[in-house]
Amino acid sequence: MSRLEKAPATTAGWVDERLGAAGYVRKSLNKVFPDHWSFMLGEIALYSFIILLLTGTYLSFFYTPSLTEVVYDGGYIPLKGVTMSQAYESTLYISFDVRGGLIMRQIHHWAALLFIAAIVVHLMRVFFTGAFRKPRELNWLIGVLLLVLGLLEGFAGYSLPDDLLSGTGARIFHGIILSVPVIGSWATFLIYGGEYPGTEFLDRLYALHIFVIPLAILGLITFHMLMIWYQKHTQFAGPGRTENNVVGSRLYPAYAAKAGGFFFLVFAVMAALGGLAQINPIWLYGPYNASQVTAGSQPDWYIGFLDGSLRLMPNWELSGLGYTVPFNVLLPTVIMPGLMFTVMMVYPWLEARFTRDRDYHNLLDRPRDVPVRTAIGAMSLAFYIILVIAGGNDVIASVFGVNVNSMTIAGRIALIVVPPLVYVITKRWCLALQHSDQELLHHGIESGTIRRLPSGEFVEETVPLPLVYQLGLTGVEAEALDHSAPPPLGPGYEKAAVEPAPDKDGFFSPRRNGSKNGSKNGSAERPEATLPELEATSKTNRPS
Amino acid sequence: MKKTKLSGYAVVLLSLSIVGTLYTAVAAPSSAVEEPAATKPAPTKEELVQEGRDLYLSGCSTCHGLDLAGGSGGPTLIGVGASSVIFQVESGRMPLAAGVQQAPRKDVRYTLEEIDALAEYIQGQGGGPTVPAGDLDDGDLQLGGALFRTNCASCHNFAGSGGALTYGKYAPELESASARVIYTAMQSGPESMPRYGDNQLSVEEKKAITRYVTYITQAEDVGGASLGRYGPLTEGLVIWVVGIAVLIMMTLWIGARS
Amino acid sequence: MSDDRPEHPDSGSLPEKLSSPRPSSSASGPGDTRGSDVSSSSHTNSSSGTDLYTSGHGDGQRHSDHPAQPAAHPPHAPLSERDAAIAERKVASLFLLAVIGVISFIVTFFAQEQEFGAPGNAYFTPLLGVFMAMALGGVGAGTVLWAKLLMVDDEAVQERHPFGSAPDERAATAKALRQGLADTGLPRRKLLRNTLLLGAGSLALLPLPFVGFLGRFQHKERVLATTSWVEGVRLIRQNGTPVKLGDLQIGGVESVFPDVFHGTIAADSPALLIRMRPEELKLEGEQQDWAYKGHVVYSSICTHLGCPVKLYEQQTHNLLCPCHQSVFDASTGATVIFGPAARALPQLAISVDDEGYFIAQGDFSEPIGPSYWERGT
Repeated sequence: MSRLEKAPATTAGWVDERLGAAGYVRKSLNKVFPDHWSFMLGEIALYSFIILLLTGTYLSFFYTPSLTEVVYDGGYIPLKGVTMSQAYESTLYISFDVRGGLIMRQIHHWAALLFIAAIVVHLMRVFFTGAFRKPRELNWLIGVLLLVLGLLEGFAGYSLPDDLLSGTGARIFHGIILSVPVIGSWATFLIYGGEYPGTEFLDRLYALHIFVIPLAILGLITFHMLMIWYQKHTQFAGPGRTENNVVGSRLYPAYAAKAGGFFFLVFAVMAALGGLAQINPIWLYGPYNASQVTAGSQPDWYIGFLDGSLRLMPNWELSGLGYTVPFNVLLPTVIMPGLMFTVMMVYPWLEARFTRDRDYHNLLDRPRDVPVRTAIGAMSLAFYIILVIAGGNDVIASVFGVNVNSMTIAGRIALIVVPPLVYVITKRWCLALQHSDQELLHHGIESGTIRRLPSGEFVEETVPLPLVYQLGLTGVEAEALDHSAPPPLGPGYEKAAVEPAPDKDGFFSPRRNGSKNGSKNGSAERPEATLPELEATSKTNRPS
Repeated sequence: MKKTKLSGYAVVLLSLSIVGTLYTAVAAPSSAVEEPAATKPAPTKEELVQEGRDLYLSGCSTCHGLDLAGGSGGPTLIGVGASSVIFQVESGRMPLAAGVQQAPRKDVRYTLEEIDALAEYIQGQGGGPTVPAGDLDDGDLQLGGALFRTNCASCHNFAGSGGALTYGKYAPELESASARVIYTAMQSGPESMPRYGDNQLSVEEKKAITRYVTYITQAEDVGGASLGRYGPLTEGLVIWVVGIAVLIMMTLWIGARS
Repeated sequence: MSDDRPEHPDSGSLPEKLSSPRPSSSASGPGDTRGSDVSSSSHTNSSSGTDLYTSGHGDGQRHSDHPAQPAAHPPHAPLSERDAAIAERKVASLFLLAVIGVISFIVTFFAQEQEFGAPGNAYFTPLLGVFMAMALGGVGAGTVLWAKLLMVDDEAVQERHPFGSAPDERAATAKALRQGLADTGLPRRKLLRNTLLLGAGSLALLPLPFVGFLGRFQHKERVLATTSWVEGVRLIRQNGTPVKLGDLQIGGVESVFPDVFHGTIAADSPALLIRMRPEELKLEGEQQDWAYKGHVVYSSICTHLGCPVKLYEQQTHNLLCPCHQSVFDASTGATVIFGPAARALPQLAISVDDEGYFIAQGDFSEPIGPSYWERGT
């Protein structure tokens, strides 16, 4: 045995002598994670957060969060001698005078865009597959909180360089806070330390950006991961996969190697983007000045939906009795996102209430099997995408030569018309897909063999779908199959679903308490179901 | 197997996108500076005016009238000055294609000499702002930047990439505008654009702005591909179309069981 | 080297070096009883592992984290000796690519020109990015490929443990909680309970002064409602020069500021001086007196969210806000004709002093910028 081969055991021995962690460690090494590409989307978010911490730390060594005015005398020639804030000057310093500072800045910014994009994609996966259902509602809640914190963190970072764009963003943020009835002006004076822009906003934002929010994100991520670890990952239905097991790879070594390798791949993509695609060229924007602005003033993409809702909003303002309520700001940037995120947070409980489904769910839904949820998701997505497009309507208009006012009006109409349409279409589409699945289940695959019946009628023989695929289509849990035998075909399939063997401790299923709560359709209670019954259960299992 | 096929596509797409990004990054910083034409003996002023008159009568008088007083569709040209002629003709806006809300840039129909002749002729008919002699883009770069951000960036965008105005009108991008066109645009205030007289922006200040615009539109992007210099919108597009797409292909590759 | 998975027919043909390196008992040190437990339990089946874990954890919950028999997917097809060697070379070349990336990165970092304007400086960051991606991507892709091609990665099945605790367990915990509360005497001693609530509750007030000190609220209302414009102050440009009657041509526009201390950087004072033909100005009432010979001044702070409204179209007199596309008509008092802004841009009353320079007649007649609760109607 080589030293390398001995190393893991000797190290483990050393640690175990002190911590006695051997049992736990071995168990962890053998922990099984289901394999599916879509289960890696959350990893992208996690990895981009790590990249953000690494690059952000480096940037913080050079950045100065101060609005004190200085005269620039750095490397960027077109701004030499221009008066600017120290914040902007230090960001220019990072970009032009710190070796490799620009690529750090650019990787940091790209990773920030990726962080939120990955959270959104991950959230979509979790939503459309129903992974948020009991017992994972809390983790969904944490996920939505992470998204909200990510947006705040991103906005804070966007505002730090004190360039023309970020200053414009900070001013809009000021106006949004100001619009809140009764407390608006008090709140802005608190946040900005006095009248806008004041001198303290950047210091406060900086403390939030590099300490408070990252710490909160880190804490929530830790909790998020611990819960995944403890509750085990969900999985898609398939042969051998049940509500009571996890089928996939052991953590050690292959899964860990893939996950670790993926971190470096994400970092590599960020490095490539950071080097090859220029992001936030603050030297072109120029220093912030309250009287200057650039055409096409945009937030980063993840705030785009708020900018879009501002643009599409009609100019409603209510005033009377000496008081003013600017609904044109309040509704699209305070009430709308507040409602949006609240509904997102409580969605698992809402769905459980409307479907009266209080069961544990470890098997994921296929989106088509839950048409209403899928349609709700698609509808919300359509709403969101229209807002994001509206948020960039001036640049789109300028690039494609469209009338920006027409785009705004079209956006207003689309925001009302398109989401319901998307809802109806998605629901029907799901039902059609279900129907074609059922067709395949009942009639099997066309074999191409034509037979003539004694009556003289010609029929085509069909071959039943292999059970492996049948189980995938029904979305129903089925107990482990003996894979070494050829997949049972034809009449042999009744024996496929067998009674699960109790494990060492005598547990059949995780539903020991769940059954008390009335699992009316809990398929786990009918381990001996034959295929026709399985189909029946699958139908009742689908909340529609 | 389906997954193997998918991961195959993923690898192909990934490499394609990397090659594409590399190519744009490497090929982007190429500046096209026109060489000045070979010098010819300069024509006298009378010759210029005569040539300009001929050009005007054959090319412009249908709309602007034989006596420059305006006519079917064209405004009067009395008093607009050489500056306006140079802007409109050298940027290819004139002669105008019928039926447009805003005159677009087109291929230039006249040579520089012909444009000078036309300008000289119009200048003789009622005067108007003229272009100062000498280099127009030798102004103060830093002053130009400050003035550009105060006066120009609000419509033409921070890097002169252009922007949308109301009801389909637009402020054009400035990269394809020559120094003379930039300068004369400020002087003459064509269409929607405000007019910046010499009392408002001095000759030096206008030259500084011209210098900044030509500098910034030619400047290399130190951070890689420019992404059009439209701001965060294209960056958001890239993170989805390139970033998320490439990473999802990677997850397909990693997740595929061989 | 044995494994805790059942044998599959082909596993025997796996080269020894490719099978997963699991700790073996011989690796543990002398006298290392628990250490030998690790390795031995990894050889045995789940039962001893479960017991070990449960005793260590001590929460009474029994888990069944054990790898079981492989499931439906056929196990990882082992590579032939030849294919494995090819795979190893593929992975190795990716790792070597990373080395090349790192070396190139370091060389570029120190050797390539970075100073702005120097020849080739625009390649500095792209090259760094490419080499960094090469280094990170080499390690990443190599590791993934290694895992995919050479690591044993059979599909494993693991039972889930129950989520809730057993009813008796719950009851016992609830009882312990109740007992603990009773032991504190809190439920019985009303005085203690009430004063505790009062004391702890009053702690919530403690940070309030600190929070309140974050902002200076003196003259808040006045600060919000007024700007730096005062009667008789000249209109100056960004560079400090005053604007004279006649400086602007018809169709001209100028950003103007009050000629006071910090006038050009005050966030609430920027305004826009526009000149059009006097007959084009269609102002009503007192607003007519606020303009001067076709010159009119509006606050350039948008009444929607405070962006500078400076996109002036001299033919249509439209003013466009570049942030949310509100359109104002400068010829009719900057009234809103499109977009989310609800109010016209406030107009600044101007006139001309003895020397021909523009001066303000006073401050704006209403608060500029975004609406807020107490701004009045």
